[in-house]
Amino acid sequence: MGSGFLLRRIGYGLLLMLGVVVLNFLLIRLAPGDPAVVIAGEMGGATEEMLASIREEYGLNEPLLVQLGIYIGNVLRGDLGESFFFNQPVAHLIALRIGPTILLVVTAQLLSIFLGVLLGVLAARRPNGVMSAFVSVFATIGYAVPVFWTGIMLIILFASVLPVFPVEGMTSVRLRDAAWYVQWLDVAHHLVLPAFTLAIIYLAQYARLSRASMLEVLGSDYIRTARAKGARERTVLFRHALRNAALPILTVAGLQFGNLISGALLVETVFNWPGMGRLAFDSILRRDYPTIMGVLFFASAMVVIANILTDWSYRLADPRLRGRT
Amino acid sequence: MSLLEIDQLKVTFDTRYGQVTALDSVSLAMDAGETLAVVGESGCGKSITALSVMGLIPQPPGKIAGGAIRLAGEDLTRASEARLRAMRGAEVAMIFQEPMTSLNPVFTVGDQIAEAILLHQDVPRDRAWKDAVALLERVGIPAAAARAQDYPHQLSGGMRQRVMIAMAVSCRPRVLIADEPTTALDVTVQAQIFDLLNEIQRDFGAAILLITHDMGAVSEMADRVAVMYAGRVIETGTADSVLDAPQHPYTRGLIGCIPSLDTAGDGLAEIPGVVPPLHLLGAGCAFAERCLHVRDTCRDTKPRLTEKAGHHVACFGAQEGWL
Repeated sequence: MGSGFLLRRIGYGLLLMLGVVVLNFLLIRLAPGDPAVVIAGEMGGATEEMLASIREEYGLNEPLLVQLGIYIGNVLRGDLGESFFFNQPVAHLIALRIGPTILLVVTAQLLSIFLGVLLGVLAARRPNGVMSAFVSVFATIGYAVPVFWTGIMLIILFASVLPVFPVEGMTSVRLRDAAWYVQWLDVAHHLVLPAFTLAIIYLAQYARLSRASMLEVLGSDYIRTARAKGARERTVLFRHALRNAALPILTVAGLQFGNLISGALLVETVFNWPGMGRLAFDSILRRDYPTIMGVLFFASAMVVIANILTDWSYRLADPRLRGRT
Repeated sequence: MSLLEIDQLKVTFDTRYGQVTALDSVSLAMDAGETLAVVGESGCGKSITALSVMGLIPQPPGKIAGGAIRLAGEDLTRASEARLRAMRGAEVAMIFQEPMTSLNPVFTVGDQIAEAILLHQDVPRDRAWKDAVALLERVGIPAAAARAQDYPHQLSGGMRQRVMIAMAVSCRPRVLIADEPTTALDVTVQAQIFDLLNEIQRDFGAAILLITHDMGAVSEMADRVAVMYAGRVIETGTADSVLDAPQHPYTRGLIGCIPSLDTAGDGLAEIPGVVPPLHLLGAGCAFAERCLHVRDTCRDTKPRLTEKAGHHVACFGAQEGWL
């Protein structure tokens, strides 16, 4: 596995990010509405002179391509601009919120892959058994139900019926001065419901996918070889079959990562999770263009990184891919 | 007592046409150091016989409906799954037809051989790896230590079959089942694999159950031969006797199908028709529909194996001399 592969992928990733920046910028400028009016509105009333000075100050008088050039130049220097609404640097706003989002998204992804694959493997053991039927029904429900509905149902369940998990926020105020590990446990406790809500759609998909993939692999000649060696059924399933069945699961997991991030926006809103999703939601409502573009920039960076990691994990899983570029 | 004894084995499968009998009263026996070839066309029950011995018939839909498989006197059809697991790979090992797909693509070949050793022998991991390398060397793989680190896709078909053989003999099994081990290989490689199997048999003293449809392979390898058709043994005896004086018209057909330089230009011989689907078998001889010498008795009654010309054959025509 040469480092050439990784470098090339990172190079493509950076090009892709540049494309994303350009597209984001143009799309947002194409949307109706005048940012100067919005900014002026936040300041409380807009005279014509005020609008003109705002346009001057924010460079909105320049031709679009010049604005784009300036924006790209700024991004390359790490300057994502200043939020119209919060009056703070966008990079600072995102830095405060990207941690909770990554925590939520990565936890949900790992949870859905782990539980989904486990269910799928158990179902594949007996394709006509009870577990298999359960996975099929569960997958259909999990896939059909919208994430905000699951979230609200879980909130109702855990807020009133079974109050064992917090339904709101990421930390408890009363634990602000507790030891670090108590605070960590507190965050983990708060993480349970949002992560599970976000995971449930993908969990169902992975369960179905791994069931199908495992069934195909279990019919192959090398599985018969493993059995003929005298390997236990568990070894056959988890050592010989699963690694071969993992490729389609990895593919889908990589593709779904983008959807997971947009799903996080809803989940963060429902559970008041202090992540980028909330920031995106607030800034879209307020036409806070620099913040929207900053959030989109980081969201696409996460997707690009996830895809690079997916490609790389393919090669770990399947030696046949290692010789290629 | 023979080393491996298949006694009146009956295996059925549930299919959408109802229950079919894949093996019907199959009896075979083999002694240590002996090679028994089981011959027949696709679908005659050769591979099912092999998988039954390994205890690898998928159940359901398959089922061992009667008879016994005795390994050194122990009936494997009554053995527990744990006992079968301990037996598989250690006492009875198997080489499969498709070396291209029979090795797991995501593990190195050294790993796969070492796994077979670790499953049955109480040795440390590095010891198993060393044994795996030694086995690769033994089956004629050059630079074995380096090749052991290779994945299956990096090896040729012949090399992969050598790996399969190394894996199969890693625990010195008493019985080695080779299910069409050379079908997928080039002719020159086929000869090498047969030579290797012969050598391995000399060194390890294993009995070889060779499953094949290739009469050339039989003459190359076998001490004794059993010809199967539609789930039954129809002719069996020493390889010399069956090859020199085949009694059953089907066996004659099989032998007649071997092309030789003398017959060049005459076109290839063939047996007309195909093996009938198992669910359509009637009361009589399964070969009757394809037989040039068929009489009414053949269609009504199943012939049984009886002695003729120094070996056993199940054919009224051969038994009664009107063939």
